[in-house]
Amino acid sequence: MNNIVKMFLNLVVIGALSGVILSGVFGVADPMIKANKEKELKEAIFVVLPGAKDFKVLEKTVGQEKLIVYKGIDENGAPVGVAFKADGGGFQGNIGLMVGLDTSYLKLKAVEVLEQLETPGLGDRIREEAFKDQFKGLEVKPKVEYIKYRKPEKPNQIQAITGATISSEAVVKNINRAVEKVVANFPAEEITRAEAAPEKVAPKESGNGK
Amino acid sequence: MDQKTLDTKEIKTAPTPEPPSQAATKLVVSSSPHFLNNESVPKIMHNVVTALLPATAASVYFFGWRALLLIIVCVASCLLTEYAFQKKRNKPIKIYDGSAIITGMLLAMTLPAGFPIFGAVLGSVFAIGVGKQLFGGLGFNIFNPALLGRAFLMATYPVLTTTWVWPRTMEKAVDAVTAATPLAMAKFEGKLDVPLMDMILGNTAGSLGETSAIAIILGGLYLRYKGYINWKLPLGYLGTIAAFSAIFWLSDPTKYPSPLFHLFAGGAMLGAWFMVTDMVTSPVTSLGQWIFVIVAGILAVVIRLFGGLPEGVMYSILFMNAFVPLLNKHTRPKVFGEARAQKV
Amino acid sequence: MANNLGYEFKKGLWQELPPFRLVLGLCPTLAVTNSAVNGLAMGMATIFVLFTSNILISLVRRTISSQVRIPAYVVIIATLVTVADLFLAAVFPAISKSLGPYIPLIVVNCIILGRAEAFAQKNSILPTAADTLGIGIGFILSLTLMGTIREILGFGSIFGVKLLGSWFEPWIVMILPAGAFLVFGGLVALVNWISSRKTEKAAEAAMSR
Repeated sequence: MNNIVKMFLNLVVIGALSGVILSGVFGVADPMIKANKEKELKEAIFVVLPGAKDFKVLEKTVGQEKLIVYKGIDENGAPVGVAFKADGGGFQGNIGLMVGLDTSYLKLKAVEVLEQLETPGLGDRIREEAFKDQFKGLEVKPKVEYIKYRKPEKPNQIQAITGATISSEAVVKNINRAVEKVVANFPAEEITRAEAAPEKVAPKESGNGK
Repeated sequence: MDQKTLDTKEIKTAPTPEPPSQAATKLVVSSSPHFLNNESVPKIMHNVVTALLPATAASVYFFGWRALLLIIVCVASCLLTEYAFQKKRNKPIKIYDGSAIITGMLLAMTLPAGFPIFGAVLGSVFAIGVGKQLFGGLGFNIFNPALLGRAFLMATYPVLTTTWVWPRTMEKAVDAVTAATPLAMAKFEGKLDVPLMDMILGNTAGSLGETSAIAIILGGLYLRYKGYINWKLPLGYLGTIAAFSAIFWLSDPTKYPSPLFHLFAGGAMLGAWFMVTDMVTSPVTSLGQWIFVIVAGILAVVIRLFGGLPEGVMYSILFMNAFVPLLNKHTRPKVFGEARAQKV
Repeated sequence: MANNLGYEFKKGLWQELPPFRLVLGLCPTLAVTNSAVNGLAMGMATIFVLFTSNILISLVRRTISSQVRIPAYVVIIATLVTVADLFLAAVFPAISKSLGPYIPLIVVNCIILGRAEAFAQKNSILPTAADTLGIGIGFILSLTLMGTIREILGFGSIFGVKLLGSWFEPWIVMILPAGAFLVFGGLVALVNWISSRKTEKAAEAAMSR
């Protein structure tokens, strides 16, 4: 009987101590982790929307899906473009992109790769500037296309990475799918409307970026 | 030709040493017990080398002297690696048995003509060193060494192993710098209109020895004539590829390539005649051989049509190589009375 | 005593070198060593958990009844792993991202529970510290070595610094899972070869005497 009480106490005390330690560490670490994610997101948005100084988060629920776009504005509050995430399967796992689209919904501003698990040295060359630069100013009407082995001929074409057609194709498909969704669900006037100029000190909207 | 399939009787009589006469060579079938009999090894191997000569000649014709250089480099590195391992392990030096020459030639056959020399050396060292000698040398390797070397190069230099050049014979007709194999065109661009005659002759982009189907078939028929290969292995493999791909082709001929395309494109011919038939890495028993070739054939088509890679012959054969010990064990014909004894 | 401590420390560096001699802790050894930095970071996270958890277990070894010792150890180890995970995510987000799920997986690293069962629960704090530091440093060195070899061959660099020039065509296979097995097999063979040479030499010396 005594032994059972001892076992019980052992586990209770260890469990309680563990809980105390973890909640303490979590209390310190969680804001930092959130800040890291926030910073990462912000950097990606500003990369794909050059000239943006701040962004507003626009949310819409379409069916089961929650669409989030980040409307970039410059220092006067004038819209620069919209940024949004584009996820989809690549060769080995998810390819997560941040896509920047201009306010007229005609051209891409830039594309940034947030996460990818493609083959090192082959598919992961989608992260290289040479590949990403192809998307700057690329036309999205009727849709983005890729061609192989040759230089692009049309304003809506990019050249696929040699030997990594599947990864290149996945990027193009992700962009097309995401662009289509954003264009269909966010009317242009929402995007072109001017916003209040961002405050000088800290970006106001960044707090609810999640 | 008096070659028969293996049955129980033959297995039991096989270990008896046969006089090295014409009759003996005719009776050698794909079976490891025979293979350890050293007397016949060099003879078989040199005949396989002879059988590879048409494909070698075709590769030089289509891709120029660079092809010959690659073959020589691969053969030389394979021989050197074999020699180094045997020397280091204090084993008798048996590089003249020709098995390393075949590995080198086959490895070179699977490489693009523009493949760099250092890569060819690396692949050869891996094929012989890791693929063969680490397992204990000829007869003990689980995987076909040449294919293992090729798979290693594929993972090591994914860009270089898929950077093809056009054959000299059609250089002027094409403006693009980098060539595409018929399989890659079918997979990534939906182009199914490569002339069949070009693929049979070898007038397409691809690996050195894989492009010319006719040269490989010639070599394969020579081996068959000499009695070194069992008809079941190559024909079973090719037949499965044709039959299985026909199902898809009939369902939608505009989307899926025809069975003939599958047979003459890529490495199907080379794999069927020279790699599936590898005596060390294919099953001994008749049932085992059927399972081996049918599953490998289905796998090759599945990878080609639905996998991430345009070509699936290499992985299909390597994959099935891994099952050979298991197939041999479970498809072994029962010795008379054995079944009953086991039931108790 | 000091002699003993020295022995407990040193055995982890060669005699009981975790991945190559004991063939323990293979999951992180194979999974995250595609660069030297990742190997080092993984080793650091592991030694932190190994050292602190085993010290704690050694401290409480008499108060915990033997029937519940395994759940108790697991709770201690899991707590420390979570602390390490949160710490990395907060302070080194890049490393945390590249190590991914393998930090939480330290919980099931058999070196840690193995040392707790085999050593910490029978010994006082000082020998436990020596033992876990030795094993842990051996583990760090092994992982960093694996990561270094794979990074040199796979990227042509070491700790992110370009080592080999543009003449070197990187062996992509080395940063893929297959490369982990190749390098691991090679290193196990090397370690076995060295130790068999050592025994041979010792035998020869004994004979000539």
